Formats: sequence, C-alpha cells, structure tokens
Amino acid sequence: MNGQLLSGNHAAAIGATLAGRANRTGRGFVSGVYPITPSTECMELLCNQEIEKGHVVRVESEHSAMAVCIGGAASGARTFTTSSSNGIAYMAENVVAAALLRLPVVMAAANRTLGPPWNVWADHGDTLMLRDSGWIQLYCADNQEVLDTLLCAFRLAEDRRILLPALVCQEAFVLSHTMERTIVPTQDQVDRFLPPLDLPARLDRTARVLGGISVPHVTEVHRAQHQAAMDRTWEVYREVQDEFEAVFGRRPADPVVPYRADDADVLVVSMGTIASTAERAVDEARARGIRLGSLRVRTFRPFPAALLAAAFRGRPRIAVIDRNVSLGFGGVLWGECRGLADPGAMVQGYMIGIGGGDVRPGHLLAIAEDAASRGSAGTPVMMEAGA
Amino acid sequence: MGVTESSRGALPAGIPLPLEVRVHGRGGQGGVTCAKLVATIYAEQGLHVQTFGDYGSERTGAPVRAFARVDTVPIRNRNKVYRPNHLIVLDAGLLAEDVLEGAEPGAVVLLNTARGLAPFADKHGHFRFAAVDATAIARRHGIGTSAVVIINTTLAGAYARAMGLPWEAVERAFAVQGLARDLPAAREAWDAVLVREADDGEETAARGASPPSKVIGIAEQVRDIPTPLQTGSWRTQMPLYRSHAAPCNAGCPAGNDVVGFVQALATGGVEAAARVLFRTQPLPSVCGRVCPAPCMSACNRGAYDGSVHIRGLERWIGDHVAPRPERPVPAATPRRVAVVGSGPAGLGAAFALATAGHRVVIYEGESCLGGVLRTGIPAYRLPEEVLDRDIARIVALGVEARTGTFLDAAAVAGLARSHDAVILAAGLPRLTGLEAPGVDLPGVLQGIRFLDDVKRGAAPRLSGAVIVVGGGNTAIDCARTALRLGASSVAIAYRRGRKEMPAIGPEIDEAVAEGVKLLLHRQPVRVGGEGRVQSLELAEVELGEPDASGRRRPVVTGRTSSVPCDALLLALGQSADLSIVPGLPNVFTAGDMATGDGTVAHALGSGRRVAAKVLAALAGEPEPVEERPSPEALVAPAHVRFSHFEVELPHAERHRGIPGQGLGFDEANLGLDGPSEASRCFSCGACTECDTCLLYCPEGVIHRIGRGYRIDEAFCKGCGMCVAECPRRAMEMVFEVSAR
Repeated sequence: MNGQLLSGNHAAAIGATLAGRANRTGRGFVSGVYPITPSTECMELLCNQEIEKGHVVRVESEHSAMAVCIGGAASGARTFTTSSSNGIAYMAENVVAAALLRLPVVMAAANRTLGPPWNVWADHGDTLMLRDSGWIQLYCADNQEVLDTLLCAFRLAEDRRILLPALVCQEAFVLSHTMERTIVPTQDQVDRFLPPLDLPARLDRTARVLGGISVPHVTEVHRAQHQAAMDRTWEVYREVQDEFEAVFGRRPADPVVPYRADDADVLVVSMGTIASTAERAVDEARARGIRLGSLRVRTFRPFPAALLAAAFRGRPRIAVIDRNVSLGFGGVLWGECRGLADPGAMVQGYMIGIGGGDVRPGHLLAIAEDAASRGSAGTPVMMEAGA
Repeated sequence: MGVTESSRGALPAGIPLPLEVRVHGRGGQGGVTCAKLVATIYAEQGLHVQTFGDYGSERTGAPVRAFARVDTVPIRNRNKVYRPNHLIVLDAGLLAEDVLEGAEPGAVVLLNTARGLAPFADKHGHFRFAAVDATAIARRHGIGTSAVVIINTTLAGAYARAMGLPWEAVERAFAVQGLARDLPAAREAWDAVLVREADDGEETAARGASPPSKVIGIAEQVRDIPTPLQTGSWRTQMPLYRSHAAPCNAGCPAGNDVVGFVQALATGGVEAAARVLFRTQPLPSVCGRVCPAPCMSACNRGAYDGSVHIRGLERWIGDHVAPRPERPVPAATPRRVAVVGSGPAGLGAAFALATAGHRVVIYEGESCLGGVLRTGIPAYRLPEEVLDRDIARIVALGVEARTGTFLDAAAVAGLARSHDAVILAAGLPRLTGLEAPGVDLPGVLQGIRFLDDVKRGAAPRLSGAVIVVGGGNTAIDCARTALRLGASSVAIAYRRGRKEMPAIGPEIDEAVAEGVKLLLHRQPVRVGGEGRVQSLELAEVELGEPDASGRRRPVVTGRTSSVPCDALLLALGQSADLSIVPGLPNVFTAGDMATGDGTVAHALGSGRRVAAKVLAALAGEPEPVEERPSPEALVAPAHVRFSHFEVELPHAERHRGIPGQGLGFDEANLGLDGPSEASRCFSCGACTECDTCLLYCPEGVIHRIGRGYRIDEAFCKGCGMCVAECPRRAMEMVFEVSAR
C-alpha cells in the first residue's frame, strides 16, 4: 500500500512531529497540549513521539497550552498545539495574544461544534469564532491534505514576510477519526522543506518583556503591519506550493479549488469535506444535464476575495454553504463572499451540517435546485441534515 | 509520485466497487478496528480505502457502528454507509431490524454467532449469510479477557474467506497493523466460517434511512431522569431481586427462620417475631437458655464486630410473648397420633401435629412433662417455671398428656393399633458406665440421675472433693450443681483437652469462673476407698495414632496419681434403648433415639420433620423434602457490605453475681436487657427495603412499588451497581440470554 492507514488526527500529529524534528539544528520544538474530543488522539500521539530537542508539555488547560506555545515560540522554537470547540474558546485570549505578538505558532483544530450541551461532532463554528484574531486559517478536505497543509503552515507562518500563527482545520470525526491512505514523508524530505526557524528578535541572553503599554498611534501601525503581512500570504503561498511539489512530488491545492465551475449555472461554495460531497453532487447533476459547479474555499484567512471574485465572474447563481452560523446574522462564509459576485447575480446563503449532521449529495442537490429556482436572494436558510 | 489510480487487480468478481461495508458491534468488541482491518486488507491490494467509527459517548456494551469504503479511485464520499454491500455483525444479539437497514438483497451478512446458519435461514433468506463463532475461537486463543473477548481480528479472517479474498492479503494486513499474533485465531475462523448463498427471486425493497426526529425548542429540553434515550439496549446482564439463604437459617438444626424472627423482632416487635418463631419452635425460652446456638457461630456479623446474640433474642421472645389461648382449627382429616416421650423431640412432634389440627396424646414415664429438659438440666440454667411456661403453651393446643406411664414394646405395639401412628421419642435412657475397679463403691453416681434427684428435691448431701468424669454438658451441669450443693472442691476429669470438650464453650467458662477445676488428659483407672469412695486414681492420657476418623486416639499411660474423692459423678454418655421399637410400619422414631445428635435444637427439628413425615405417610404422599442450600448459595461475609453498617459491639447477657458470693440455684444468666440487639442483624439474603439500590442507581431507574422495587428495563444499562451495593445479597445479576 502506498502510504499508511492514518486518521486525520494522527496525520496532524505526525506532521507536527516531522516539523518539530526538522528544527533540531535550530532552537528545537515546544508544544503545550491539553486533550479535548475530537483532537485528543492528535496530542496523545504527539506525547508519545521522540523529538530531538523537543518538549511536549501537558498542562492543565487549553489557555495554558497556548501560553506554553507563546513562550516557546518567543524563544525561537517551532511550536504546535491542537484543540477543538470549547477548548479553543477557553484558549481564545492566548490565541489572540499569539497573533498580536507575531509568533509563528501552528495549531491543528479538529472542528467541533460549540456547547453546551455537549456535542462532539463537526461544524466550523469554533475556529470561525476566532476569524478576527489575526491567524492564518486553512481548511482541509482529506487526511493527506491535513498532513501536507500542516507542513505548509509552518513554512507560511515562519516566513519573514509573514510571521503570523496559522490554523490548520479538519472536521471532527469525518477527518479526525477517519482513516485513509496517507503518504508520510521522510524526515529528510521535511528537513529540506522546513529549514530551521530563525525568529527575529527572539528571546535570547538579554532579558525582555513580551508585550507592554501602547498608544493609539502604535496600535494603528501594528494592525497595519499585521494586515500587510496577511496580504503577502498569497505570493508566499505560491512559492510554498512550488517548493512542496519539488520536494514531495505533489502540489498542495490552491487557496480556492474550483470543480467543473467554469460554465456552471449554479455554483456551490463551501469549505472542508462538504466540498467533497458537493463535487459528488456536481457529477450527479452534470450526468443529468444540469450545469452545477463547486468551489472549495481552502484559505479562509487571509480571505481570498480576489480569487473568489474572479471565480464568481459570469456565474449567475451562487449558493454559499456554511457549516456554521453567526447567530443573528447567518453563515460566516456567505457574509464574507456575497458581495464578490457580479451585480445582479443571485447569492443565497445556506447553513447545513451544524452540529455534525451527515450532509449528503441529496442535500446539496436540493440546495442547488433551490438556488436555481429562486427569483431573488433571501434571508439565509438554515437546513436540517437530520441525525 | 502522486496517489495513482489502482485497478481491481485480483479482487474476486463478486465484490462490487465502490464497496461499502458496515460493522455493527458493542463498545469494547473492537468494531472500529475490525473495519480498519477490513480496509487494510483491501488497501494492501492497492485499492483506495476509507474507514471510520460512528459513536459518541457509548460505553462498553452499548451498540456502536463502524464503516469501511473501498474503491479504485480516491474516495470522496464522506457520509455514513447507508447502503452496505457487506454487513459484519459482531454480536448476533444486535440483529434487529435497523442493523439490516439499507442492505440490498444479495448483500453479504457475516454474523458472529454460536448457533450456526440455521436460525437465520428463514428470516433473511435474501441475503448471502456467513456465520462463525468468533467469540469461542478468540476466547480459546486468549484474545482479550474471558469476560470481554475481543473478536475483531478473528472475525476479519472469516470475512476474508467469506468474500473470497486470499489468505496472503489477511497476513499482510495483520502485519501492517501489528496484529500478527492474532493470525492463528483469524485462520481458525477462516477455516470455520459457514456460508449460505442468497435465495433467488425474492425482491424486497431496500429501506432507506429513517426520517430525522423532530427537534424541540431548548426550553422544552428539560427532562427529568430517565432520559428518552432508551439505554436498555446497552445491557448484557440484568439485576434481579432474589433472596439467598442466610447461614444462621442453614445452620439451625431445628430449621428456624432465624433471619425471619430476628428481623420481625427488630421491625415488628415480640408478637410479630413470635409468629415467625412458632412455625418451627415451640420451646423458645428453653432453647434461648440451653442451645449451643450454631446460628451464632455462623452469623456473618461475627466477621465484622461480633455475632448477633440470637440465642438471647430467642429467649427474649419466649420470655415476653403473650400466652396464646386459641386452639387450632381441626385438620380436614384429623389423625390420631401417640407420642412416646415428652422431651424436646416428643414435644416438638406434638406441637407440630396439634398446630396442624391433629389429635395428639403424649405418654411420659416421669410424673412431669419435659424429658431430659426436666430431669437433666439444672435449675440455675433452666428454671422450672420457665420450662413449665413453654410446655403449657403446647398443652394449651389440646394435647393430651399421660404422665407416669412407662411403655414396653408390647404397649407400643398396642398404641400402634389404636392410633394412626406412633412417634417414639424416648431419648437416651442407657447410661454409659465406667470400667474400673471400685466403681461399685457407694458414692459413685451416674450424673444424669444425680441431676434428676437434685431437681426432684432429693439431692444427696455432698461435701469434700467431688470429681466429675466426662466432657459434655452433663458433666458441666454436674460440676456446677455439685458446687451449689456444698462441695468444697469440684473437678472435671476428661481424657482429652479443653478444645475437644463437647460442652458449650460459654458454659465451660462459667464453670471455671465458679471455681470448677479442669483435670485434662486424665482417665480414672481405679476407684479407691473402704466402704465408700475416698480416692480416685487418675492416669495421664496421651494422644496416639490417628483412628479411622483421623483423630488421634487417646492412649492411657501407666503414669498415675491418686486424688482425694468423696463423690464420683459419671457423665460418660448415653445411648438409646431400641428394644421398645416394634417393627411396625406406622411407628416412627424421633430425636436422640433416632439420631443421637444430642442437642435440644436437633431434637425439636427431628420431632417436627418426623411429624411431617408421619402425616405424608398417612396421606400416601411422598415424604416432604427440606431443601438444604449448597454452601455457595449461602450469604457469606464477603457478600455483606460492611461499610454500610456502623460498628456496634454485641449486647451481652447479664449474669447474677460472681463466684464466692454464695451460689444458689436461682437462674445464673439473666439474659439480655432488651431486644435492641435484633437491630444488629444484617438480614443476610433478605431484602429490608433499605433503598440502597434505589439511591445508588446512577440512572435513577429503580422505583418503589408498594412492598418492594421495580427496575425500569427500558433504561437499565446493567451496570450492576445496585447489586454490588446491596448490603445483604438480596439481589443478583443474571446474564441476558439473547440471540447470541
């Protein structure tokens, strides 16, 4: 068999391990971890790895887990953690801190709906809740992509033109606990792809304090710098794609992945594995002569506005599917991209799969049919996947 | 090098692609790994695979599912498996309608079952069925534990065979997953799996997924326990309320319901306790004073803070119960039974027969009823008026007593003709003598006769040194009586040691406390004196070779010494006189005459059982059999939850005075000062409705119903906490038998 049967969680842990080892000639690897379903198996595997010059620290909470990463990253170590749902919510303050301190922490999130009551299954509400925090956010659709994207995330985060933390997201159970054939690169390959981290102004012999008092003008400049770094992500990512392909022999997907979208009468836009299901629905519809197309948004932050606008050009009807709900508003992705379509195009928002319902091709075909038959866009539609 | 398209390769023709496999199991059986193994088998053949589990917070035993998909191209299907081509069922007990949901006719079902293919043939004929007893195979190979056998690897072997996959693929998959040690079990299942093809023709519409359940508003989500999730399906064993035999009951030779009367005393008072006790015990005030109380030796509380003082409680009931005036209702067919002997066996038989409404006549040779209770037990142990009270209760039932009437064999035969039956309970009138020179000298008395004389007021004068020979209760009674009659010193000579003395332990202690000396390992070999007893020659006794019973035989040595002796009382044992037993079918023996067990309780039990035997024989029915519980069926100390009980030492009986303050014949033991000792009874094996089960149930599914409890089977998960916490083994877990 080409590759190993790995779960998404283990793919992430192995990716982090390889990346951590790759910094053994640098300042090493530090990870602060705390378990929560469904990301627990990732940190469990990580805790059992031997990483030269690596420290995996089990702490008493997610907030402290991120604090460990902040301290480690500030010292120049390559850092990683993983969490989900209310664990990410608990971590939130330090998530923001890591980004505002411009530290290249990488986090793997196993997307689980927020609670209480306690539901362990998938939706994107946990990481999208932190969309304004200043982290790069990447959403994956299969286990190979999880492993590969994790490696890319370190490259992106640590590039001097960026220096921002990065989130690699996979849906609970659908990816985190599902085993697929996954090619695991050699350490040698990862060493080539991820050179040792050389963090500017890292904590060294001189004692320093991280953070401090600021005034409005300084904050304005910091935020502008941060925004500019986000904007530079596109060009850096293209280089990362090229280098990844050169080292590993496969090319990471683009920030936006079209599928039979060029001539689509209805374009379905989504993130994560719902996009895989959408592609199956597209094939079914096309076989019946319906011109359905799909767009998968892989990079949520920075938001690929230009790429989406280009993909939307000429498309008359767009169905944006959110596996989340910004309560009081509608789907987050819909909110961010609805203005990018042609004037006069019909952009309708749909929310489905919240709390982990099994979204099937039939649901997407129903959505496409609704989008096809509407006179005009209306308020966002909340749909039940059932069970 | 990307992920390339793979070909079907050597995959058997009958396997469709894309393939969808669904596994149904119980948490802990390894269903998720089973699906992973199946996926690995295909992955090792170059195919794309995907596998994942479907479960939430279910624990061991709860139904869980897992899926696997196989295809020649990368799999984009992220949904659960709704239309399985292959179904693997790890536990045939799960084989209900929803397990087969979505399976098309011709789908393959692989079942872990011990019952082979036959039971499933008619119901699921349109499926291709495979069956193997993976549990037995895995258990033999020691995979998992004997309580939780893990069958996933075994079943994977059967799966591969049933699907026509090569064994090499199984070997490779196991090696890749690090499970090579389970290959022998998988191979055995490979060899053992039976396959039955689908029936032709019958098309049944495949059922789709059931519609989603309605969601109610969050404010309406408030639910009291139990929740709507019917977790009863998680259960493989079930708690039941079941009584178990208490060791006190099992140990009582009279067959008293000890737990019953003690609990009745604790919760209902003297009258309630008496109603239970009088079913089997007509002499509570007697036994409450003289019984060796095997119930107390067996009492489980003895392993905690001290046995319940059951004998004292029995005495309390006998001493405080109100007189029972009513006569019993005559039986439908009243029998006429003659009872010969009014000791405890005869009284017990008479009581049982009279209570059942039959006509009883007691013949007694002495002038008063009571037998050895009257003649052989000293008044300081059993006052006359106490004995009279117990006997009067029996006579008040309408029993006719003819005292002063000794009977010989001819007389007994005559009774057998004039009555429906005769019960001979004449005790042990033959007294064992001493073989030694000088035993005919005046001053050598049989102990039993001595005690009788004392009770009739014809006590001989005793002074000086009195020696009693023997180690049983009669010897103790003689010794303590001799003290009370003025002997200046009293000693008991016994040929074995203290431990071997058959007398009741506390009685020996009381004798020693009163000043009786024990001359152990001593045997009288010569009685000396001129005209009367003046001395006794005692030989030392050693333990020699073991006899047939395994006890070392006492061997009389030649080392002797002489002690002064003014009176010698012999208490060497008694035997029956069977010459009065005619060989007639309606004549029965009871008590010591029949069994020689030697205690009042044995005699009472014997009398009651022989009475039942007599009535059955007269009615032409088989002899009633009293079930004796096996040792495993008894409640043992390990079954009692000591942590539920506060430490409370047993109440002690009060005793009159101390030695040296003038011993008299007034009752020495004044008994308990109240019945509160009864509340120390654990009630072993009998539910007391303490609510412990109800309180400890984590699901809140045990409810009171009138007297007793009901367990809600729709929700009980079979966790067993109620049974584990029951303080007294009044519950039991039983395995649920389903289609395994």
